[in-house]
Amino acid sequence: MDNPAPGTLSWRLSSHPITLLCFLGFRIASVLIYLLGLLFTDNFVLVFILCILALAMDFYYLKNIAGRRLVGLRWWNEVVASSGDSHWVFESSDPNERRTNATDSRFFWWALYLQPLAWVALAIVAIVKVEVIWLSLVVIALVLTITNTVAFSRCDKFSQASNLASTAFNTGGLARSIAGGMFSRMFR
Amino acid sequence: MESASANPYEHYNRNSIEEDLIDPDDAGLNDLDDPLAPPTSSDREPLTGNIQSSSNGPISQSYLTSSIPGEDRRAPTNTIDESVWQTLSRDLLAVWEKMRQVLWPKYLLGGLLQRGGGIGGAERGEGGSLAGGVRGLAGRWPDADVVLQGGMSEGLRDWDLWGPLVFCLLLSLLLSMTASKEQKSLVFSGVFAMVWIGEAVVTLQIKLLGGNISFFQSVCIIGYTLFPLVIAAMLSALHLITIARIPVYIVLVLWSLAAGVSILGGSGVVRNRVGIAVYPLLVFYVGLGCLCFIS
Repeated sequence: MDNPAPGTLSWRLSSHPITLLCFLGFRIASVLIYLLGLLFTDNFVLVFILCILALAMDFYYLKNIAGRRLVGLRWWNEVVASSGDSHWVFESSDPNERRTNATDSRFFWWALYLQPLAWVALAIVAIVKVEVIWLSLVVIALVLTITNTVAFSRCDKFSQASNLASTAFNTGGLARSIAGGMFSRMFR
Repeated sequence: MESASANPYEHYNRNSIEEDLIDPDDAGLNDLDDPLAPPTSSDREPLTGNIQSSSNGPISQSYLTSSIPGEDRRAPTNTIDESVWQTLSRDLLAVWEKMRQVLWPKYLLGGLLQRGGGIGGAERGEGGSLAGGVRGLAGRWPDADVVLQGGMSEGLRDWDLWGPLVFCLLLSLLLSMTASKEQKSLVFSGVFAMVWIGEAVVTLQIKLLGGNISFFQSVCIIGYTLFPLVIAAMLSALHLITIARIPVYIVLVLWSLAAGVSILGGSGVVRNRVGIAVYPLLVFYVGLGCLCFIS
């Protein structure tokens, strides 16, 4: 118990415990507010606002802070100024310079994939009970969480592919690998 | 003779040939046809001339090429290893930058500076003449066009949904506060849905008119320009008397419209079809303004 095996889901093994706890806190908070909010107050508006704010903060925190600190990945959406086309930009840390903690990454990926599943379950419940207003909230939650999930899994694929490429061509010192953003970077 | 056939471009740079060729790279602004050049006698003329010209006039093209090596805060930074505070401050600055453009609509500023208050009635008048003023300006004064185009590079490039989210929530909350007890949640969700659907429809309209702007960029801008309407909703929540509401709310709606037009001005629609693109925006703002008025 004192020395759990590396990679187990225990926050004490994390190398960024505060980031990890905040991340899990935000993730769980939105679902808890949605499920339990009406137990404490019958003010629908308040629960709705709190839930949306929790969802937005969770989205922001996962996208901009937790992702890069826990697993060294980051994505964003960039717009080409002249044409207005948007495209994904993926950023990943160099595995030679920085090891991601196994515990952190397990927590991260579990939470990343479990959250949309939870909201899908809640969506089914809302559809069965014909709660149109709550269903709209669940749809917003689904859009936000699935966006992050899809983006991070694509980002992970890109980083693995570019890490393979960088080891194959031995381009050492490549601090980061960007895929997808190449086009805009060359023409800007 | 043989060397000449081996390299057909050998004499390319000779002056006699050079003068015959029209090299687009060498052609300056003065060599190209300027759609704005013909002397304009009436206010309507530049407008009609504008519609016939191509949407990318030489002025906007030169503006775009000159903006390519311009400042781009995002690209060269390595954001993977920055501290949390750096991330937060950069995003907060981006939000503030957009707020600043809404608080101080760029078109009004640029227009006032250039004209020295000459035709100031256009912006002080009602919405239709404002849109007309933008059209006339975009046709007549190249500087105003640059001002409109300039809004895009800073305000539009990196969008976020914080502004739309917060202002939409505030608007719905403030409007639902004055509703009767059992209607609160209905009003809230109604306004909430109306704002998002309205933003989507206006954006779709701009996209269909050929604006080179991405969906979320436009939603972002329209969301930020809801700020004056939030003030209107707040005044309603504070029970402002009805007589005072009329002038105040008209000014606030026009403020929203001016901000929306001046930021969306770079989206590529404005030069040709600003009226069609702006009209649903006007309807959207006026609709929300009426909601604030009756609540």
